[in-house]
Amino acid sequence: MLMKLKNISKSFGANSVLNKININISKKQCYGIIGPNGAGKSTLFKIITGNLLQDEGNIYFKNNNIDKLSIEKRARLGISQSFQNNSLFNEMTVKENLMIACSQSLNIGWHFFKALDKRKNILDKTYKICEQIGLSQYYNHKSESLSYGLQRQLEVGLAIALHPKLLLLDEPTAGMSHLETKQIVSMIKKLSSSYTIIIVEHDMNVIYSVAKEIYVLDRGDLIFNGTPNQVKKSVLVNDRYTGIKK
Amino acid sequence: MLITEILNALQFSMTLFLLSIGLTIVFGLMKIVNLAHGTLYMLGAYLGLSIWTFSNSFWLAFFFAPLATALIGAILYSCLFKFIQRVDPMRQVLLTFGLIYVGLDSVRLLWGSMSHSISAPELLSNSIQIVGETYPTYRLFVIFVGLFVLVVLYFLLEKSKMGAMVRASVDDHETTQMLGINTNKILFYSFSLGCGLAGLAGVTVAPIVGVEAGMDMEVLVLTLIVVVVGGPGSLKGALVGSLLIGFIDTFGKVFFPELALITMYAAMALILIFKPDGMYSKL
Amino acid sequence: MSAVQYDKQLRSYLFLALCCSAILINIFGDYFTQFLLAEIIILSLFAMSLDFLAGRGGMISLGHAMFLGIGAYTTTILYIYLSIDPFLCSLITIIIGLILGYLIALIITKTHGIFFIMITLALGEMFHSWAFTNDSLGGSDGISGIARPDLLFMGLDLNEPLLFTYYLIVWLILSYLFLSAITDSPLGRNLDAIRQNSNRVLSLGGSVKFYKSASFGISSAIACLAGSLYAQLNGFVSPELSHWTVSGEGLIMIIVGGIGSLSGAILGAAVVHVLQHELSKLVDWWMLLMGGGFILIVLFMKDGLWGIILKFKNYIMEKIC
Repeated sequence: MLMKLKNISKSFGANSVLNKININISKKQCYGIIGPNGAGKSTLFKIITGNLLQDEGNIYFKNNNIDKLSIEKRARLGISQSFQNNSLFNEMTVKENLMIACSQSLNIGWHFFKALDKRKNILDKTYKICEQIGLSQYYNHKSESLSYGLQRQLEVGLAIALHPKLLLLDEPTAGMSHLETKQIVSMIKKLSSSYTIIIVEHDMNVIYSVAKEIYVLDRGDLIFNGTPNQVKKSVLVNDRYTGIKK
Repeated sequence: MLITEILNALQFSMTLFLLSIGLTIVFGLMKIVNLAHGTLYMLGAYLGLSIWTFSNSFWLAFFFAPLATALIGAILYSCLFKFIQRVDPMRQVLLTFGLIYVGLDSVRLLWGSMSHSISAPELLSNSIQIVGETYPTYRLFVIFVGLFVLVVLYFLLEKSKMGAMVRASVDDHETTQMLGINTNKILFYSFSLGCGLAGLAGVTVAPIVGVEAGMDMEVLVLTLIVVVVGGPGSLKGALVGSLLIGFIDTFGKVFFPELALITMYAAMALILIFKPDGMYSKL
Repeated sequence: MSAVQYDKQLRSYLFLALCCSAILINIFGDYFTQFLLAEIIILSLFAMSLDFLAGRGGMISLGHAMFLGIGAYTTTILYIYLSIDPFLCSLITIIIGLILGYLIALIITKTHGIFFIMITLALGEMFHSWAFTNDSLGGSDGISGIARPDLLFMGLDLNEPLLFTYYLIVWLILSYLFLSAITDSPLGRNLDAIRQNSNRVLSLGGSVKFYKSASFGISSAIACLAGSLYAQLNGFVSPELSHWTVSGEGLIMIIVGGIGSLSGAILGAAVVHVLQHELSKLVDWWMLLMGGGFILIVLFMKDGLWGIILKFKNYIMEKIC
């Protein structure tokens, strides 16, 4: 069992955003979380990564309760996220962005003196990740000069730099063209053989093509859990989510 | 003695309140701190001094000095602050730091380096008996001014449409703009009002602390502590912060004169450890 | 907060140029020039400490002059009451600055950027007030009688302006190399990353609090060193060393030099100090000019003198290629 969310609830004032959510992540595959806007998906991610504290319920990561851990401690345990709104280091090149990510693997004592860009092991790791996300030709380009689609790829690159145990992708195809979406999807498919991924998406086609198991949220409740086929056929999901009555 | 000290603390708190409320609202609205706020306080005192010297009337100074400082604030906003919005917030704050230099020398150029003072008006120059202790009427007047402003601001902010717009702007500037509200006007008036209140504080306490060129920094530090501790953008924070700092400072000086500053720092550190954004922050 | 672009090569070349200039001025200058140069070197140390904090931590401290005071007063007390050689005093103040800065930072780095400025301003003023009113520290008169390190066993008398300035240059070079190495190290690069996007560093697993506190500690250590050397230069210390205007001047220096450029800070220190020196001889209201100039530079010269040098370098490179 990799991660378990047990009875997670969260309210903002009188607004109940998450209501006793239970999720089990155990296999090395891609999980999807879908739901209409306001269903609580981003809030759920924030609670998993530690950006928000849940009102009720517990989170277990590898059988340990991580409720009290800070954001960086959870990241060090292996929970990594790519953000919906690109969160890059804008003044740095692609190489430097990835170097920063890879440098987190260094122990504190090694942080002083030897220049970061002279450390061979970090440089090797950086180049490998760059290849993995398909940005090799942009290695020395400034991240802010990249197109939106490429920036999204770098965003994912930062998240996988430290080989996380659990990779959270927050709407990775948001705002992308058809072609860019296809590229990201093929990248995610490749990644899902090496990482456990939870992906939050609006684009149903993307979810159906990458996720093996889907959780459906609606207005704070977990209304369905199953394979893509089961979700497609579910009357309940179709009713609540797409409004299509079969 | 105790009553005197409590009233002194209250009077000091009210002065801090007048200063911090302007600073905190501007911070909430523009996300920057005007470090030259103390300079406006000083200008209020000096302008009051000139009006008083010229007209021999305290009340004229009391009335017009804050208006003059509000006007200076308006000019500052229109000429400077409106255009520096494109520079990042940290640099905007540095800019206000430069204004402190400009303000200090301007005051020295116009009024000279000597200390001055304004006399309290005849009406308030005596003392009255409170619970067996004698207390200067003028200081009670200062407390009254502070409370009056508090009440007016409370009604303005909480009960009026303008106040709702200000509060909305503090909470979410962009959305407020998108609702068609002229946030620029709100900023303009709020900034000018804040400066006017600083000037009011200056001219009001001038009969007590005097008028001299260094007064801007002395009061700025404590005002900043009030804003930090109370939490930016909040009326309640400014009030509670002012009372807290006012009382700690006054009683600290009475009981531990050597350690007064350390007590202040310790209090600030403690509050920040538990609430890094201040007590009632609207950040 | 914006800082200059990372350019290790230009930074090193500029430092080399400034260093050589300093040595030449020291050799050929008269007594007054050497004294001015010595002041500039000490102010450069202070400016570098501020620049490191702002450029590599994204933190602007408006109360850093308090560490000048702490360095100076500690040296004074250690020398006068415990007869510790001033060189050792300098080393001790570095350690004190490191620890004190780290501890203070642990509390205040939780706060956002603008809060941080306000708190450091408040702290600086509090220290200044305390030093001003505290009689055991000499009150407003300060304390005098601090000597310079005893290098007579090497045949060197540091009371000679030429030699003491060389001594200061050595400290400058060591500090620059130290700060430069940290800037290029993982710690320094992470600090830069924190300045640009601290949330991302957190979600990558970086301990932002530690990084920021470490950088504040390092910065305070260098500032304390500057204070210690200042006490040795002048032979006395007064609370005016921790006045807010000193912190302010430091800030003006790094803005003029270009925040984050490190060697630019030295250039900024030289330019501002000389300007202030000359202006205050000409007019009474030099503060107004400084303040006005500062405002203009903040508005229009984002990268300060470094930016101009960089443009010049790019222009030359274009002509060559």
